[in-house]
Amino acid sequence: MKRLPLSVIGGFLGAGKTTFINRLLTANHGMRLVVLVNDFGAINIDASLLQSKREDTIEMTNGCVCCTMSGDLFFTIGDILDRTERPDHLIIEASGIADPAKIATVALAEQELRYAGILTIVDGLNFPIQISDTAISDQLKSQVKCADFVAVSKTSPDQENVKQALTRLSVSAWTSADDIAILQSLLFANAILKPPKSEHTGSHPEYVHWSYAAPTAMTQSDILQRFEVIPNGILRLKALIPCDANHAWEIHLVGRHKTIEKCTAPHKFGIVVLGHDASISEIEIKNWWLHS
Amino acid sequence: MSTTTVFTAKKIITMDRSVPEATHVAVRDGRVLAVGGPDCAAHWGEFETDNSLRDTIIMPGFVEGHAHLMAGGMWKYPYVGFHDRIDPEGREWKGVATAEAMIQRLKSTQTTSDGIIFVWGFDPIFLSSERLSRTHLDQVSCERPIAVLYSNFHVMCVNSAALKIAGYTDATSANGVVKDANGQPTGELQEMAAMFPVLRRMQIDFRALSQNRYALENYAKVAQRAGVTTITDLYSMLEDEDLDLMFAVTGQKTYPLRIVAALGAGAAPKTVADRALALAHKSTQKLRLGAVKIMTDGSIQGMTARVRWPGYLDGHANGLWNTSPAEILALTHEMQRRNIQMHIHVNGDEAAEVALEALADAACAHPWPESRHVLQHCQMMDRALFHKAAKLGVVCNLFMNHIWYFGDKHATVTVGPDRAARMNALRTALDEGVSCAIHSDAPVTPLAPLFTAGCAVNRKTMSGKTLGKNERISVAEALELITIGAARSLHLDAEIGSISPGKRADFAVLGEDPYFVAIEELSKIPVLGTVFSGRTHLL
Repeated sequence: MKRLPLSVIGGFLGAGKTTFINRLLTANHGMRLVVLVNDFGAINIDASLLQSKREDTIEMTNGCVCCTMSGDLFFTIGDILDRTERPDHLIIEASGIADPAKIATVALAEQELRYAGILTIVDGLNFPIQISDTAISDQLKSQVKCADFVAVSKTSPDQENVKQALTRLSVSAWTSADDIAILQSLLFANAILKPPKSEHTGSHPEYVHWSYAAPTAMTQSDILQRFEVIPNGILRLKALIPCDANHAWEIHLVGRHKTIEKCTAPHKFGIVVLGHDASISEIEIKNWWLHS
Repeated sequence: MSTTTVFTAKKIITMDRSVPEATHVAVRDGRVLAVGGPDCAAHWGEFETDNSLRDTIIMPGFVEGHAHLMAGGMWKYPYVGFHDRIDPEGREWKGVATAEAMIQRLKSTQTTSDGIIFVWGFDPIFLSSERLSRTHLDQVSCERPIAVLYSNFHVMCVNSAALKIAGYTDATSANGVVKDANGQPTGELQEMAAMFPVLRRMQIDFRALSQNRYALENYAKVAQRAGVTTITDLYSMLEDEDLDLMFAVTGQKTYPLRIVAALGAGAAPKTVADRALALAHKSTQKLRLGAVKIMTDGSIQGMTARVRWPGYLDGHANGLWNTSPAEILALTHEMQRRNIQMHIHVNGDEAAEVALEALADAACAHPWPESRHVLQHCQMMDRALFHKAAKLGVVCNLFMNHIWYFGDKHATVTVGPDRAARMNALRTALDEGVSCAIHSDAPVTPLAPLFTAGCAVNRKTMSGKTLGKNERISVAEALELITIGAARSLHLDAEIGSISPGKRADFAVLGEDPYFVAIEELSKIPVLGTVFSGRTHLL
C-alpha cells in the first residue's frame, strides 16, 4: 500500500495553528486529509462543507476528516494506517508546548508513513516576548529549530522584531501563515507541474518555483549522486522520474529529509521544486537538475 | 429489614480519634453502624456475629491517591523488573538483575499465541552487567520477535527479529533507533515514535493496557492484596465506551474497589471543564468522576522535571513542560471558576512553584474555599512552597516510594545529597499544616500503602542509607496518610478513611499490628485481604 504522508503543525499556544488548520480543511486542494487536533473548540467548519459532526470526529463533504486525539497519539496513527481506505495526507496538530519533532520522527520510523514535514507557526505578535521568557524559551526554540517550514501569523513577516528573533535562531526563510497556497505546496507538493497560485497578489515574490515536465530515466545511484550536489535553499521537492518500462521513482525532499521509492509508472512524470528567493534562484535550481 | 453483622477482630485501629481502638464493628447496608466492644450493636436490634476476622487486625481500607489502571493491565505480560514483584494472582516474580538473568527469564517465558514475546518492567539503572542489546535477546530466539519494555515506558530493547518486522536497518534515520559503532541498530528503541512500529506489528496497544475488563479486574486484585479499597486512575481519557465498561465492571456486587478516575486535561480549558462537569453527574458509588489531572513537568530520574536553581547535578539542561506555564494558568482559572477539583502533577520545584502561583491567582479571581486541589508528587518542594500550599488549602500528595527506589540515584546522580535529603519532605509539610497524602504511582512502583508508609517512617534507600532523617514521621502519622489523609485528597473523607459510624464499611485486614512491629518491618505486615462495603474479600 502507498505510504501515508505525515505532516506536523507545531507552534506555541495561540500562535494560530487552529486557524491554519481551519483554512487547510476548507481550501481547494482536492486532497482527502485526516487532521488530528487536540481540541475541537476552535475548529469552525462552514455548514455547507459539513457532512457530519460527532463528539470526536468532523466529516466534511470535500472528503476531509478532523478528529480529536484520544489516548495515545501513536496508536491513533496506527488506527488510521489500518483503515481500509487511507487518506491522502495525515496532519497532526502538536500541542502548544510539545516538540513537533518527537511526533514527526514516527514518519521516519514507520515504513508505512512518509515524512512530509514540520510546519511551525510563529506568533507574529508575541513570539519576540515569548522567546525571552526563560521558563519556556528552550522549548519554543526547539519548535522553530526542528521546523522544515516556518510561517508567521498575525503580522507582516517582515516586522523587524520577528525577523530578528527568527534570524537569531538561524531561520533564513519563512512565510506568512495567511499564505495558504504556498503552505499547501510545501506540505503536499500536490501542484506538480502547476505553479502555486497565490490568493493575494498572484505571485510569490519570496518563493522561487521551478518545474520540469520531461525528466529522463535515472537509476537510484544517479539520483543519489544528484542529491549529493544539491544547492542550499531548496525547501521542497517532489519528482516522478522514469525508472524502467513499468516503474518510476517517487522522490520527496522535505526540508532536510529525503525519501526515494520505486512505484508503478504514472501517467505523467515531472519534477517540481520550491525554494526561498533569499537563498536560491530559479536558474540555480534548473542548472542543478539539468546540468549537474 | 436489613441484617446487621458484627465483625470481631483482635484489634480494630479505627483512625477515628474519638474511638481510636475497638474490637468489634457492626455493619449494616454496607456501612459502619457502630464501633466498640462486643455490645456495640446492642441498641440496634438483631445482629449476626462474624468471627472470620477474629484473629486479625482491622484498619480502614487503604486509600491510594495516585495510581494508574495500567497497574492491572500490565500483568497480561510477564514482568522482568529488578525488584521482586507479586502479580494479581499472588505469584511472586523474582527480580532480574543481569542481562544473563534476563535471557534465562525470557527462555522460560511462554510465547503468546501470535508467536511474540513481550515483557515489561526492566530498569537499566540497576543493571549490573553490560547494556542490554539485541545480541542478548537473539540468544533467546532469532525467529520470534521479542520486546523488553523498560519500567519508564519510554524505552524498549528488541531482538533482530523485531527489528526486521519494523524494517529497521542501518539505513533507518529515525531518532530513537539507537545504532552501534558500525551503524547497525542495537535493538534499543527510545521514545514512542521509535517503539511504535515494533509494537504495532506485535499487536501491542498501550491503550488496551488500561481500558479493558482484564485491567479493571486485575486492578481490583492488585488492590485487594495491598489492603486498598479506594484507588485512583489519575489521567484517564474517559471516553464514552470506556465508561460503559468501567460502570459495568465496577458495578458488579463482588467488585471490591472504588475507583476515582481523573480526566486528563489534554484540550482547551473550556472543553476539559465541560467534559469534567458532564462526567461528575455520572458518578456512582464505586466509580467517582469529575476531577481533572493536569500534567506540568516530567520526572526527576529522567531529568525532565522542571527544577529551580542550581538545577541538575551534572549541569544537565532543565526539564520539559508538558503543559506550559501559560496553559497551566488558563486551566487552573477555568477549573477553579467552575468548581472542578484539579490534581496537578509537579515533580520539580519549579513546576510546583508555577502551579502554586497559578492556583493562588485563580483563588483570588474565583474564591472557592473548599476547592482542595491536589499537587501530585511534590518531590522537591521546600518549606516555603509547603507553607504556600497550606495557606491556599492545597493538598500535597508526596511520592514517598521514591526515597527507597530512587533515593540513592537522587543523592548521587540527579540533584545531590543535600536536596535529596529534603525530597518528599513530609515532616516539613505536616509541620507547615499541609493536608498530606503519600503514594506509589503504581505501576511505576508497586501498589502497597504499608510499604509507602514504611518509606515515610524510615526514609531508607535501597542501599540501606537513611535519606533525610529529619523528615521522618511517626507510624501513627503515616497510617493516617494512607487512610484519612488520602481520602481527604479525594474529597471522600466524609465517606471513607476511618472506621466510624456512618462511613462505608471498607477495611484492610492485616496479620499484624502496625503499632507493634519494628518500624523497619511495617512493609512486611501481611495483608490478608479486604472488606468492601461489608463484604469480606480474603485472599
